[in-house]
Amino acid sequence: MNIAEAAKKIDGTLVTANAAAAREIQGGYASDLLSDVMGNSREGDVWITMQKHVNVVAVAQLNGLAAIILVNGRKPEPDTLAKAEEMGIPIISTPLQAFDAIGTLHSLGIRGRRQV
Amino acid sequence: MFMVDTHVHTCLSPCAELDMHPAALVDAAVRAGLDSVAVCDHNSAENAGAVHRAGFSAGLSVIPGMEITSSEEVHILGLLPDLEAAMALQSKVYKSLPGRNDENTFGMQVIANEFAEVLGFNEHLLAGATTLNVDSVVAAIHGVDGIAVASHVDREGFGIIGQLGFIPPGLALDAIEVSHRMPLPLARAKFAPNGEYSILCASDAHEPKDIARAATFVLMEAATLSELRRALAGEGGRAILGGGRPMEDLALHILDIAQNSLEAGATEIEIEIWENLKEDRLTIKVRDNGRGMDAEMLARVTDPFFTTRSTRKVGLGLPLMSAASKAAGGALTVDSKPGQGSTVVATFRHGHIDRAPLGDIETTLMILLAGHPDKDILFRHQLGNQLFELNSRDFRAADIDLASPIGLAILREAIRKGESGLRNYV
Repeated sequence: MNIAEAAKKIDGTLVTANAAAAREIQGGYASDLLSDVMGNSREGDVWITMQKHVNVVAVAQLNGLAAIILVNGRKPEPDTLAKAEEMGIPIISTPLQAFDAIGTLHSLGIRGRRQV
Repeated sequence: MFMVDTHVHTCLSPCAELDMHPAALVDAAVRAGLDSVAVCDHNSAENAGAVHRAGFSAGLSVIPGMEITSSEEVHILGLLPDLEAAMALQSKVYKSLPGRNDENTFGMQVIANEFAEVLGFNEHLLAGATTLNVDSVVAAIHGVDGIAVASHVDREGFGIIGQLGFIPPGLALDAIEVSHRMPLPLARAKFAPNGEYSILCASDAHEPKDIARAATFVLMEAATLSELRRALAGEGGRAILGGGRPMEDLALHILDIAQNSLEAGATEIEIEIWENLKEDRLTIKVRDNGRGMDAEMLARVTDPFFTTRSTRKVGLGLPLMSAASKAAGGALTVDSKPGQGSTVVATFRHGHIDRAPLGDIETTLMILLAGHPDKDILFRHQLGNQLFELNSRDFRAADIDLASPIGLAILREAIRKGESGLRNYV
């Protein structure tokens, strides 16, 4: 499944215009502690979070994440959006809460891939 | 020199104990030998006035403050110039702080006076997060002429690095704070290896017994916010001398002194530890080939009360090591001339009850050798008839890159083997 398709499945809006919406999703990770995401997410993951600070874009870039999904209808801060456009990182905003967004994506075959 | 604890809660914070009322806080701070405390309750400054009045009668300087929770759940301290500024910041924070407190869940939020009397209860959800992001919080603190400090950056929960992965570049922090879990020399190596941030050590005390479990030693003219601001910026001869738990391991003192040598441009550093049990003596010597100091500077670094108009930051931590050595029946001497390097010698009575432990030599050496692979660092540790010697030149000669993962592993193994070998002394 690619980013644009995933956005539709969770009633989300792709808020970035200039981003790789056709990129295939490899897996998923959910956390609001950015230090944890830096340590445990994997390349190609979609990242489900409440955090909308500009640092999320740097973390997504660093780990090669496929997209950032902001839940509970949260929108990125203006500098976050600008940075995401610049780096080509897709951001999806969904009205769903994290539990339901993750459940939907999981039922469509997207899995967590952290090595325990 | 002033000993300050820039992060203390009162019974107003829902997670703090009722016995942390303003008078008890001031009592404990005075007993701990503090010159100044900053009162920083969660998202409120309502008890700052009472602590200030209690401190005034006891001769303790009290800086009003607040620990604000940003929308990212990052804790940021605002250290403020006066109560008026605190009230202005508080009203801004209250407007951005949704929810009401539930005493059964979060605890009581007691407003008290300086006579240990309860005046009322705060009803805001002080345990919650404001809707202000970190940039807005820092801007709000600066808006009332305060100092913005990222709280306990060594903690995952509510610390800025834990919450946001790293400190956002361009965030206008005046300092970062580390908790009692992390001594200042380690914090410097980890969070500000190139002097990116000034670092404060503070207790984050929620009950009286924890006050000053970590503190910062500051060279300044008076225990005031404006002086602290100048010390953080290293202006006018003011400086942060050191911090952490008041009695640190000697390994950390060694790291601190060696970091000074590197700041003074040293390319060669010799560290020697002699443990002579027969004569009940412990001697620590750090020699470098750095810039060295003139007589005036020498007087300044060994006597923290001596002040000059010089603005050079040198000798941070020497007064602390001197105090540690005096407490254990020894003395600290510094020998230095401009252009000829410096030699610091600290002696201790080995078996003195107040002699601090040597502590984590391994970490100190790892930070120095792996952090500065291009420098010549010689370490000698003698215990009885046993000698452990480690020379960074030997690693270079063997083409081992100390900054690489394999180099680190080899170095760590060499230190462990050498230090444990010393235990077989005669």
